[in-house]
Amino acid sequence: MSPGSGSRRTVWDLPLRLFHWLLLLSVTAAIVSGKWGGAAYALWHGRIGLLILGLLSFRLLWGLVGTRSARFLSFWPTPARLRRYFSGQWQGVGHSPLAGLAVLGLLFVLGAQVLSGLGANDDIAFAGPLAAWLSKADSDALSLWHQRLSSALLAMIMLHLLAIACYELLFQHRLLLAMLSLRKRLNRERVAAAPAWRLLLALLLALASVYFVQQLGQVRTPAPQASVATPAW
Amino acid sequence: MKKSLGLLLCAALLSSASLAGPLEDQIRYRQSAYAFIGWNTARIKAQLDAAERYNKDQVSAAANAIAAAANAGLGSLYGPGTDQGTGWRPSRLKPEFFQQQAEAAQLAGAFNKEANELARIAAGDDLAAVKQQFARLSETCKNCHSRFRTRE
Repeated sequence: MSPGSGSRRTVWDLPLRLFHWLLLLSVTAAIVSGKWGGAAYALWHGRIGLLILGLLSFRLLWGLVGTRSARFLSFWPTPARLRRYFSGQWQGVGHSPLAGLAVLGLLFVLGAQVLSGLGANDDIAFAGPLAAWLSKADSDALSLWHQRLSSALLAMIMLHLLAIACYELLFQHRLLLAMLSLRKRLNRERVAAAPAWRLLLALLLALASVYFVQQLGQVRTPAPQASVATPAW
Repeated sequence: MKKSLGLLLCAALLSSASLAGPLEDQIRYRQSAYAFIGWNTARIKAQLDAAERYNKDQVSAAANAIAAAANAGLGSLYGPGTDQGTGWRPSRLKPEFFQQQAEAAQLAGAFNKEANELARIAAGDDLAAVKQQFARLSETCKNCHSRFRTRE
């Protein structure tokens, strides 16, 4: 990396950008299927939820072992950093402390939404994989929270979009370009890539988390023809 | 005299018990009916999920049971004031159910129609058709839940 070409760096590496846009697609699909899909789409809503679980697991791991700007520690909004940011002294690449706060908030609400969904049921013919481990009353309570949180999530997404619009239009800060990484084409230089084994590890563990949750559900779900003999009438 | 007074007291007790009863009985009976429907819905769902072990008789029996509940006249358990009482548990019926009788009748009618249709189709061998009709029936459940049942 030669100094001086810093203005055209790729800030977000490919795994992170893929994560972001896949998350956009899957959350959109989850909202549409959840709010307007009706009972027949509950199964698909559940599958999309598992996909989001995988994406979030990946992001969590990438925030620990990923590239610099993806790491939580690099943008963790400590009070000191926030103070510096609001007094105009923050100069960095990647999430600003305020954006870091927003990112953590979005990940937290989305994570809570996924977890509550895993134990929820629709009182008709769908139940999340973890519902079998809960009492009906607890699963019902989670279902209610799942519905309430969806409003919080929508509000946060609106805030997210509004902030991007502000950056793009008022501050002339090309966030979208950075997330789509058209900069890369202008300049061959890349962000220092993380070693492949880390990416592999994060991907594997993310897949494992989805598999694990699914298996947890299977373990508790009784087979249609139970092995226990019941009276023939 | 004493004996007849005792009888009178007993009768009064009994009648007051049944006076407290009717509304709550309605709620209890309909909650039971929906739990019964829920059992049979779960049976069909389990069969559809494990299609390689599909048991037509089980599904048909469950579909007939749902249709029987639908045809039993559940509407008679929705007397005025039954949005307020406690059956097995507090009723979750929204008060506007009583202001929107036409809509309620339409939603209930849709449920009855699809339940009977499922019973008809489940007697046959077309698994795809059963699946499709089961989805239609589920839809009618959801429509009424989101319209007339409070989230608790």
